[in-house]
Amino acid sequence: MGAHVVVTEVDPVKALEAVMDGFWVLRIADAARVGDIFVTVTGDKTVISFEHMQKMKDGALIANSGHFNVEIAVAELEKRAKSKRQVRPYVDEYTLKDGSKRFILGEGRLINLVAAEGHPAEVMDMSFANQALAAEFFVKNKGKLKTQVYTISPEMDAEIAQLKLAAMGVKIDTLTPEQKKYLTSWQEGT
Amino acid sequence: MKGSSMPRNHDVKDLSLAKQGKLKIEWAGRNMPVLKLLEKRFAKEKPLKGIRLGACLHVTSETANLMLTLKAGGADLALCASNPLSTQDDVTASLVKDFTVPTFAIKGENKKTYYEHLNAVLDTNPEITMDDGADLVSLLHKERPQQLSQVIGSSEETTTGVIRLKAMEQDKALKIPVFAVNDSATKHFFDNRYGTGQSTLDGILRATNVLLAGKTFVVCGYGWCGRGLASRARHGSARRCNRG
Repeated sequence: MGAHVVVTEVDPVKALEAVMDGFWVLRIADAARVGDIFVTVTGDKTVISFEHMQKMKDGALIANSGHFNVEIAVAELEKRAKSKRQVRPYVDEYTLKDGSKRFILGEGRLINLVAAEGHPAEVMDMSFANQALAAEFFVKNKGKLKTQVYTISPEMDAEIAQLKLAAMGVKIDTLTPEQKKYLTSWQEGT
Repeated sequence: MKGSSMPRNHDVKDLSLAKQGKLKIEWAGRNMPVLKLLEKRFAKEKPLKGIRLGACLHVTSETANLMLTLKAGGADLALCASNPLSTQDDVTASLVKDFTVPTFAIKGENKKTYYEHLNAVLDTNPEITMDDGADLVSLLHKERPQQLSQVIGSSEETTTGVIRLKAMEQDKALKIPVFAVNDSATKHFFDNRYGTGQSTLDGILRATNVLLAGKTFVVCGYGWCGRGLASRARHGSARRCNRG
């Protein structure tokens, strides 16, 4: 889409990956000074604090796409801004004491569902196939399960992907018996 | 038992929106071939026959298609929203009117109504629950623990919910088996990366109509969602600076 993208991270491995993917990686306090548009997708709280918002440019747009409305300190902004008005559907303009503006999109709730229609059907197809199979799994294993967090078996995951590929008309290769054997043995070298 | 004062079968904004909602549900269904295959199998085998299933999900046209699959499998459904602002009111109207799915969700509902709707779903005494953010499971554990013994399992859609559930498991507070749908490769590799990436930009563009070209776009977090968003927002050729 032609934007210059800055990534902020706390995990060194993910940050390194972002750097090598060609993104500009900064601390949020530094990113605050250069960004035009900010989006939080972390799952944690107060990722963008009021102090970060103070450092931002006049007119910065701030949105969240994480599950809960905790990632941006909207309540703090509400308290410390001089005034607030809605300027478009899902766009609130906050005027700070110095007269500069910050725009919060969708009250800091997940913007993809608030202002658009959420994830496209093509991906929800697989997510919800998982949900439907999970319901079937519970019924089939009623009384046998422990109070723990279960995940899908690799076989069932592969089956969902295979069904999706088939629906998209994509064919893939399968391992020959010789190749399968090679992958499970250690004797063969160069 | 703590209950809600909701009418038992539904609470939606406006049933006259059903026609538009039905078209939307059909439109989404065209692009959900895997779910449709499951729906066919479920209709034949009825694996969920007579099972009471309570779902707390973003009430969108895609979710409506999941409801149809579960219903085809024989489940008795009740549905509420997993976020006060994510509901599509035309879809809820159609779910109630065209597909008789008891639905409790209104876009823009306040916190009190949001929880009344969750409680309305729990009033149906679900044996399976479905969450997107673990709100239903945490309400069950915190306020309606007497119902936990009848729950055979709960599935969780999103990263945040799975984090909450794993914290409960760690604290030995978890009283039911749960299934972390989010952890499936066919979920987070695609839904989180491509789905969140595209739809987040869609939301920002619809709300603001700003031009992204030439802007500096800050993505906080480089998990699956962040990766998808960053790669979709980016410049054709990477640009890195050491400012800041």
